[in-house]
Amino acid sequence: MRQQVFKALTGAALVVAAAFGTSAAYAQNCSVWLVENSRFMGVPFGAFQPDRSYVQGSTDPKNNINTVDLPVNVGVIKCGKELILYDNGWNQTDYHKATGTDHWSPLSKQIAQLGFKADDVSKIIIGHGHWDHAGSLDEFPNAVLYVQAEELRGIEWALNYPGHERIRATNVDKGGCSRTPACGYPPKTVDSIYGKVLRGKAVIVNGEMEVLPGVRIHPAHRAHTAGSQLLEVPTAIGKLVFGSDAYSSWEAIRDWEVANIQQTDSVQQFLAYEKCYKITGGYQNCVAAHEPLSYTDKYPLTKNSWVGMNGGRLAEITLAPGETSRKK
Amino acid sequence: MSAANAAPRLRPNARTLGIGVVLVLLAAFVVYAAQREMRKAAPEVQQQEIHAFSQPRPAQSAAEERFAQAMWNIHAEVRTAAVRMTFAGLNYKMGDGDQTSIQTKVAPLTAVFRQAETELRALEAPPSMQPTRDRYAGALVLYRDASQEMIKVAQDGKEAHLLKAQEMSERASGVLLEVGEELWPGEIKPN
Repeated sequence: MRQQVFKALTGAALVVAAAFGTSAAYAQNCSVWLVENSRFMGVPFGAFQPDRSYVQGSTDPKNNINTVDLPVNVGVIKCGKELILYDNGWNQTDYHKATGTDHWSPLSKQIAQLGFKADDVSKIIIGHGHWDHAGSLDEFPNAVLYVQAEELRGIEWALNYPGHERIRATNVDKGGCSRTPACGYPPKTVDSIYGKVLRGKAVIVNGEMEVLPGVRIHPAHRAHTAGSQLLEVPTAIGKLVFGSDAYSSWEAIRDWEVANIQQTDSVQQFLAYEKCYKITGGYQNCVAAHEPLSYTDKYPLTKNSWVGMNGGRLAEITLAPGETSRKK
Repeated sequence: MSAANAAPRLRPNARTLGIGVVLVLLAAFVVYAAQREMRKAAPEVQQQEIHAFSQPRPAQSAAEERFAQAMWNIHAEVRTAAVRMTFAGLNYKMGDGDQTSIQTKVAPLTAVFRQAETELRALEAPPSMQPTRDRYAGALVLYRDASQEMIKVAQDGKEAHLLKAQEMSERASGVLLEVGEELWPGEIKPN
């Protein structure tokens, strides 16, 4: 009897060990780069981070910066043969004058600087559907788009809102819409998302999803927009979490401040920050979409950087074993 | 240690001299290589084509401003209708409605696009804005045709109609951006 129990326990232990072993071998480390698709120039700091609003004459480093330049960062993630983009910037040059943009180039040309072809991109995971994060889908015809169902529901909810017209407006004034529920989704962007769906090149995600072994989508609903989503990526320097505009500012994640409030519930944004702390063990490996310190020593994850076409910057964050540097 | 003993050690022998020469040559090579790399890298950055998109634009005349304001009111309706039309298709594809629901949702939008076109053509455009008005009117025709194409799904269930309509709609949306950039340069903000 004792022998049988021992055998059973040993068997169970072997099964558990095998399961863990398989799972560990299954997940592979990915290589990661960051690309500055464009840069919004001279944005009032207070409009981006209310806790850091400019106060004339203030000597407090938190309140003595008037304007900031905000990069629009795109994650380029290579896991084995899969090439993933997290967000995809924008490519309608008509936005340039509207937004005071610099450093812009088409994303497909920017990733060519890393030696990647647009046709090689197999997946595009958008942190949310705003025009500056989902605006280059047509450059990557082979890529499958991953978007949260909640993101689409959120826009539609606003469009059909029976009350005040401001709630359902896709734009509210000539100076630019902001904060209203359907703001930030011009027809062109929504059309291109729909185009992916129609062509069978989209996965509508409900909550959490593992898109590759160890590469996992986490919902962060209302952390920036209704259906914001994060992406966990295993790498040689530990897990990274990409946050799009739920993680607009890396300093804000570090200092627990809200940033880039649009269709945002500040509590949900903090919970999204916490998710990065939990997954990565801190804030260093949280990848922010608009952090002004990107590509400098002050945001260490992105410091291994260089200047590419039209002044747009790139960073080599980490390489998987066997991957050679693409830094030029 | 006396000075007499130390003196001979300071005198370099042939072997030491040889090592010294090799070291100097190596250092010179490293400096040369570094300079060469820097020369190679620097022009690469300088030669980048720098786009200057944020050029100041000439102020609009009073007539142009009036026209832009009048068009804005039309544009606000059109923009929302265009997104609604896209969502009618999205819902259908996501299984949130059947073929007839597309007709129910899209048919009123055809009327919106038609009405917008009528209002637009009735606007008095200053000569400088007439090409802009015509382009926008062309986009409205595309939207209207797209909506009519979508509705055909309710009749025969063929998704090819949706694809055709989406292509038209996306082209029209591109025109909206172009016109918006010209008339309402602050319309789109960083998000």
